[in-house]
Amino acid sequence: MLIDIEIVREALPVLLKGLKVTALVSVIGIPAGILIGGVFAYLAESRSRVAQLVTKSYVELVRNIPFLIVIYMSYFGLPKLGIMTSAFYVAIGTTAFYTGGYFCEVMRAALHSVPKGQIQASRSLGMSPWTIQCHIVIPQLLSFLIPPATSLVIMMFKDTAIFSVVTLPELTYQSNLLTSETFAYVEVLGTAALLYWLSSVILDATGACLEHRVARWRQ
Amino acid sequence: MIDFLTAHGALSPFYAGVLRASGVTVTASVAAFCLGMALGVTLLIIRTLCSAPFRVLIRLYVSAMRGTPLLIQLLIAYYVIPSILDIQLSPMQAGILALACNTSAYISEILRAALTTISWGQIAAARALGMRTWTTWRHILLPQILHRSIPPLTNEFTILLKASSLLSIISVTELSTLARNVNLQSNLPLQVFAATAATYFIILFCVSSISRAVERRFAKVLPNAH
Repeated sequence: MLIDIEIVREALPVLLKGLKVTALVSVIGIPAGILIGGVFAYLAESRSRVAQLVTKSYVELVRNIPFLIVIYMSYFGLPKLGIMTSAFYVAIGTTAFYTGGYFCEVMRAALHSVPKGQIQASRSLGMSPWTIQCHIVIPQLLSFLIPPATSLVIMMFKDTAIFSVVTLPELTYQSNLLTSETFAYVEVLGTAALLYWLSSVILDATGACLEHRVARWRQ
Repeated sequence: MIDFLTAHGALSPFYAGVLRASGVTVTASVAAFCLGMALGVTLLIIRTLCSAPFRVLIRLYVSAMRGTPLLIQLLIAYYVIPSILDIQLSPMQAGILALACNTSAYISEILRAALTTISWGQIAAARALGMRTWTTWRHILLPQILHRSIPPLTNEFTILLKASSLLSIISVTELSTLARNVNLQSNLPLQVFAATAATYFIILFCVSSISRAVERRFAKVLPNAH
């Protein structure tokens, strides 16, 4: 089986265009999800029973329903509810929704890693809840948070490949189009896989670097 | 609005096929998980026992499997592998192959994390008693590794079962394929996909209950673990 370099050379610009869409969806959707997940993590730690119940059901929904079904439901279901939307907004919305559910769990575990005694001590020193969070809790939980957050980011970045089924013109969709034109499965799918792999490795290295930085900064 | 819940409503094709389709989903996931476990344990043993070139190869394999989307892996297993190796693969076989390879990388990482929690003294003691490497692994290390890994392995199986929904893209007739087809017939996306989501939810609920039972069972066999 020989690999035709010419096909790779022709396919690469199209695939890179797709990678740009993949990156755009990830860059908007994943941080939005992290924000949502963070808010829900604090809601879960609050004393309100209703907030705890809402968070629990949100997390359980995300953990037990395939991403594909969530995407189908939003893409085909939202227009039925009178909300007109496009594949791009569905992609960003579902990415944020799904990331949020997973990040909520990660964040809760991180919040539990800070000893309760420190928070009580800060409170008795007269610090406001805001100051306690910004100066005591968050700096300490960062090193605990970064490794699982990195793998979550990589997982969601890879999961954006599924948006090809709702015709979002991202990397996998572009490679499907190319293979249906050229039938050069080995070259096109191989290049797409390499692009994804390279991006994941870069994300992984960024996470490791951040972790290192935080660890040094805390000393 | 309510008549979609009855079997005579528009969702009747869904109810008619849901058991069969769930069966395909569960079969594919269980088969892939068993293969993935076997492969994952093999990877772990090679990684700990063999020389540097093997270790590098395995690290590359794990990194590639964890760094590329499952969807791309499925497409490669379905379109590329048969043409390179000149073999025939049914969609189901290709799907199980891709899921198994994907999950084996994660499983080997989970097992490796569990291995690091076992103290070196146990291996030294086994050697002092004259146990061979294979006996040490089979009777000392693997039981403990597996017991400690049950919660993360359950989590991995949950992720795998959810990911098996992607098999619908290479035309395996599992749960998501059924949902997509019924949606095309009935044009009731909210109801159809809500019913599908509920089905996945029920299956995964059973999975986590089974996992807790297995963990209790293991705790009886290994009274000193934890």
